[in-house]
Amino acid sequence: MTDNTCTQCGYEHVVINRKSNGQRLCSSCFKDSIEKKVLKTIRKNKLVTKGDKVLVGLSGGKDSVALVNILNILKEKGIIELEAITIDEGISGYREEGVRIAKDVAKRLNVKHHIVSFDEKYDFTLDKIMEAQKGKDDHQHACTFCGVFRRQLFNQVARDVNASKIATGHNLDDETQSIVMNYLEGNIHNMVRIGYKTEARDEHFTPKIKPLREIPEKEIGLYVLESGFEVHFDGCPYAHESFRMEIGDFIRELNLKHPTIMYSTLNNFEKIKPAIKKEYDKKHVVPNGTCEVCGEPASQSICKSCKFLEKIHNELLNDGNQNG
Amino acid sequence: MSITLINKKDVKEIEYEENLTVEDILKKEDIPIETVVVKINDQTVTEDEKVNDNDKMEIIKVIYGG
Repeated sequence: MTDNTCTQCGYEHVVINRKSNGQRLCSSCFKDSIEKKVLKTIRKNKLVTKGDKVLVGLSGGKDSVALVNILNILKEKGIIELEAITIDEGISGYREEGVRIAKDVAKRLNVKHHIVSFDEKYDFTLDKIMEAQKGKDDHQHACTFCGVFRRQLFNQVARDVNASKIATGHNLDDETQSIVMNYLEGNIHNMVRIGYKTEARDEHFTPKIKPLREIPEKEIGLYVLESGFEVHFDGCPYAHESFRMEIGDFIRELNLKHPTIMYSTLNNFEKIKPAIKKEYDKKHVVPNGTCEVCGEPASQSICKSCKFLEKIHNELLNDGNQNG
Repeated sequence: MSITLINKKDVKEIEYEENLTVEDILKKEDIPIETVVVKINDQTVTEDEKVNDNDKMEIIKVIYGG
């Protein structure tokens, strides 16, 4: 007979058996533990300061729903202002549900919500680009376009609403995968940028914070379910077999036998990062310029987003429209 | 024992031997335990929960990959 008693309060039904530390928790103590841990991460790493206006990316997926719900605790206490943004890339049969759930969550928490679409901003949808690319030689994956345009919209909206921080729902699995991937690929430039917050190199960029980075992905799924949220659990139809996915499977498999492996990967990385950064920064200075087309910060004369817009409108869609 | 297994829109009645846990059934169904949350009769349970005859077991995939 297994013990079904909460190790915190004694309630006789547990929803999680944490092999990493031996805790068995009931629904209430589990939710409490997640919220306390995230708030502690925020406090310890000074992710927000009193009076910050935080713009949270709210896709309607589990990570972002958990994040907005926890950041809302700080909003309710009058410590921060909180607004949410949902980006509609135009992925038919997938994004509609995420947008609907994001709207419902924002309404339930009384958080001001911005919805920005590729279609209204750039005059195309992600589906349209992928359709136009069919049969072309230099076919790019959807994630390449999506990532660049999403980042740009995030930054633009953050500036428009005077947000002092952008919060994203990166979890412990995401962060561990990034550390291991970048290490295996020898990508030091990307590796030294992994952290609790990204310091903006340019005043046009709003600093990004990752309050959920110490919470395992599965626990975030459990947290939103136990909190009674409807969540968009479907995977993106454009998600593909990637190196990240392989690394994710490998780490999860490892985690079954070594339940503290993700925590130790993250903690040890944080310990060695200052040394790597110091050595790396000596040799590499990233150019800090401005895009000649749109005026946004760029490391080259034309930013990646403008390069893609030119290619999409002139080569793929042939509509001559380049006004992003 | 007979249980109702719900995996998204896929609902099926399955016969299993007695005295199985959630973890045993996930293994039999080839579902990676580390990617799902399981509810039995609408209540969230841990992987070592015993499954009984006529139980309704719902599998909610919370992680993609694997």
